[in-house]
Amino acid sequence: MLRRILAWIAALAVGLLLGSASAWAALTVGVSGFSSHYGAWSLNRAAGSTAADPYTRAIIARYGLLALSSREALYFNLDRDERGQPLSESCVYDLSGRDLATRWWSITLYASDSYLVRNDDHAASIDSSHVGAGDDGLWHARVSSVQGNTVNWLSSRTARRGFSLTLRVYNPQRDFTPSEDSLPRLTTVSCAGAL
Amino acid sequence: MSGWGKYVVAALLVAVVTHLVIVFATPNVLMNIAQQRLGNGRYNAWRLGERVTQNSRAIVRPSPDFAYSACPYDLGNGPVRIHVTPWRDYWSLSLYANNSDNYFVLDDREAQNGADILLVRAGTALPDHETATIVQSPSQRGIALIRRLAPTPDSYAAAAQVSRGDVCTTAR
Repeated sequence: MLRRILAWIAALAVGLLLGSASAWAALTVGVSGFSSHYGAWSLNRAAGSTAADPYTRAIIARYGLLALSSREALYFNLDRDERGQPLSESCVYDLSGRDLATRWWSITLYASDSYLVRNDDHAASIDSSHVGAGDDGLWHARVSSVQGNTVNWLSSRTARRGFSLTLRVYNPQRDFTPSEDSLPRLTTVSCAGAL
Repeated sequence: MSGWGKYVVAALLVAVVTHLVIVFATPNVLMNIAQQRLGNGRYNAWRLGERVTQNSRAIVRPSPDFAYSACPYDLGNGPVRIHVTPWRDYWSLSLYANNSDNYFVLDDREAQNGADILLVRAGTALPDHETATIVQSPSQRGIALIRRLAPTPDSYAAAAQVSRGDVCTTAR
């Protein structure tokens, strides 16, 4: 009798564990499955949509609660460098791009917990109203733990490893077509400790 | 069914139910938490969020470029009247159902002089002779959110001043 009771309790516990683990996996690993990829950037067009299926809705609620619909804004995320490595505080990156066919855009740096990095550099975001194109027709920004001589700076100080960038494109024009070439490009300049 | 088979089937059934409950409940649970955090427990009243800084933890991936005003609403006592004061730069009003769906959005291109909205529960009778735009909420509770582009401390202070003209209250 006791053996049966223990067996039922074990079945219940295993079921709860399996169900929780599979839900966690679906909402964590499944993020990429709901995204379109443009080079290193990923876009989820279902953000804020009323047509989003339960999995997409749960993923959005977890990673982008209160997001705007794609009619109003597009959210692109980047969390890997050009070699597919997680972004790291110990590296210096160059971020560059051309003007986007949109009313306004911004790029914000988030720590791995999806909140702003806890530092007092006041350099968590850059936007289209403050970056200007240089002689090469591109705007440039530096992603690094120290500002150096750059004007457009996204501070990764205390972000450690696994931080990410979010590009917000507000009121995209009808001819706005995301592509690897049209979106900003991240290039690793150097990494501390690298040969 | 004999032996271990019934225990395996039971475990699988519990796993499926647990999985679905978590997936379906996640948006509602997170929205309820957001309503509490953004409204500090109050409904049908605007609350201007502090300027987003490295210490902001109310919602994930907050944008430091915006002044956010949130009104967790509850239509339990009838429709809710919403007024948004216009802002000199980009602004938008977004309405979110309790399952996190963004079912309505309006921005300054469409409403240069601000917005007047009467929010009613979907499926209820619509009021006659209403001059405001009537919007039907799919759920009794949800969140109204105003974003005003204000990337500097000065522009945030100006947006905070403008936000005093916003209204979110039970309609009489």
